[in-house]
Amino acid sequence: MSPSSESDKPIIEFKGVSKTYPSGTHALEDVNIRIKRGEFAFVVGSSGAGKSTFMKLIMREEKANTGTIIVNGFDLTKMRRRKVPMLRRTMGVVFQDFRLIPKMNVFDNVAFAMHVLGTNANGRQIRKEVSNALAKVGLGDKARSMPNELSGGEQQRVGLARALVNSPDLIIADEPTGNVDPNMSYEIVSLLTEINKRGTTVLMVTHDHSLVRDFKHRVIMLDSGRIVADNAGGDEE
Amino acid sequence: MKARSFRYLTGEGIKSAWANRLMSLASVGVLVACMVIIGLFILLYQNASRALGAVEKQNVVLAYMKDYTWALYGGEVEKAAEGGDENGILPDSYVIHNEDEALEYCKEIEKLDNVESVEYISPQDALERETQNMKDRGMYVDSILGEEYGNPYSGAAKVTMKGMDDFADTVEAIKKMDATDSVEAQSDLADSLFFIKRGLTTGAIWIFVILLIISFVVVSNTIRITMYSRKLEISIMKAVGATDAFVRIPFVIEGIFIGLLSAVISEGLLYFCYRVATETLLKKWPKVSIVSYADMALILFGIFVAIGLFAGVICSFFMIRKYLRREGSEFSAI
Ligand SMILES: Nc1ncnc2c1ncn2[C@@H]1O[C@H](COP(=O)(O)OP(=O)(O)O)[C@@H](O)[C@H]1O
Ligand SMILES: [Mg+2]
Repeated sequence: MSPSSESDKPIIEFKGVSKTYPSGTHALEDVNIRIKRGEFAFVVGSSGAGKSTFMKLIMREEKANTGTIIVNGFDLTKMRRRKVPMLRRTMGVVFQDFRLIPKMNVFDNVAFAMHVLGTNANGRQIRKEVSNALAKVGLGDKARSMPNELSGGEQQRVGLARALVNSPDLIIADEPTGNVDPNMSYEIVSLLTEINKRGTTVLMVTHDHSLVRDFKHRVIMLDSGRIVADNAGGDEE
Repeated sequence: MKARSFRYLTGEGIKSAWANRLMSLASVGVLVACMVIIGLFILLYQNASRALGAVEKQNVVLAYMKDYTWALYGGEVEKAAEGGDENGILPDSYVIHNEDEALEYCKEIEKLDNVESVEYISPQDALERETQNMKDRGMYVDSILGEEYGNPYSGAAKVTMKGMDDFADTVEAIKKMDATDSVEAQSDLADSLFFIKRGLTTGAIWIFVILLIISFVVVSNTIRITMYSRKLEISIMKAVGATDAFVRIPFVIEGIFIGLLSAVISEGLLYFCYRVATETLLKKWPKVSIVSYADMALILFGIFVAIGLFAGVICSFFMIRKYLRREGSEFSAI
């Protein structure tokens, strides 16, 4: 999809990034990292290490105090607020708390992400994309169910389908398995791995050591706002 | 095109107005109350203006007499060298010498064809009324009506005519009479009209401002509650990359919906109230001339729609600004 020169560049690049909250907390300090297109990376670290801040910087929910952040060709440090939606359209976000709209059924929850973008898709195309996304997460038969009729794992798969429906280059998931029981967690990470194999970059924060151990992906470890371990290149480069 | 998304989000706006129907209803109720009061005031003002206009044009004139005061201040009387009083005025040089003659003069006028009634206004009456008028207008009365000059007013006949058709002829006839100095439109009436109009205008402006503020507060509050109840949707919209304009649509639509609904209800309610009121009034005084609702309907509706849209659109715009600054992850904390 992207030109070949683009695909050689990292999809995410942090250069000397620091983030200090107005409260004075130094959430990230001098972070340098490159994540290539098509990679799957876990972000791990103890509570308060700066993992969520790292993800928020990528989504441009927060701005870095110093350093440069490039995501999908956008320079986030120079980006104007008006352009932020364009950046977000290139990524799919999965929330720890699922964020499904309770009064909408599964299908409408996924379609919502398409409807609100004002894209050119017509009704038939929206139906097709939503069905595809639901099939990818194995919920093709639950389209008419309401969120409260689903298990936590199933709800998160709906969240994943919603993140996929606009065909993002990058999936951002901050503890997506935090509210899901352990075997369901495996299922979700398996799905993410599947999606990753088809070319989508995945960045996922987790606390779950067994997940990190069993799925052999890149692991970026944060501690007190600094990257203290990164096995990048272990299986690539 | 984006029309599909626009339709979708419009539907969402109407749905959320419906989901918050109690709040929406409350703000429609308050908006309607404000609009109806504003409408009633406009109708009252229109009717008052019309009534006052009718009175203004009404066939009432004051015929001032050639009495002693006229002789003294009128400047048309030669001061006699001898035989006059202390001011050098001869009794023959003016016509009305006493109240009997003044009343006689009034009776003469009353005999004219087109005259309905005549009322004698003595110099004392005129002085009191003018003094009061000046006080009402905040003038410093003592310096104008000092004791030393005495009463500067002549007596007058307040003439009410039967119809406007022969108005000019009748005025001519009065002017031709020996005892008539001049004929003028009645000024005290014009003065009170001036005050009534000014009072109504000031009152109307204040009521309008206050009601507008109330409308804004109530609609803002409704939109804020809607926004709170839609924070989940907003957070998702922002996360998937919806533009601010799209995030706004449901709220602006809800604001417009509330505003327009209020305007329609107000128009209907006001029509009903006005009809009942005017019918009752006309039963008592069939001759009263009343502004017809049809003449005002479009203007009133225009005003209501303007107020409704203004309140709805402005409120939703400003209420959501604050939320648009917030990012997705923060929404769960709101
Ligand atoms: N909005 C915020 N304002 C102030 N401090 C914050 C904010 N968000 C996070 N922090 C602080 O920044 C540090 C890193 O937080 P976070 O990135 O959420 O860590 P993690 O997700 O690894 O638990 C913590 O000390 C946290 O208290
Ligand atoms: Mg976190």
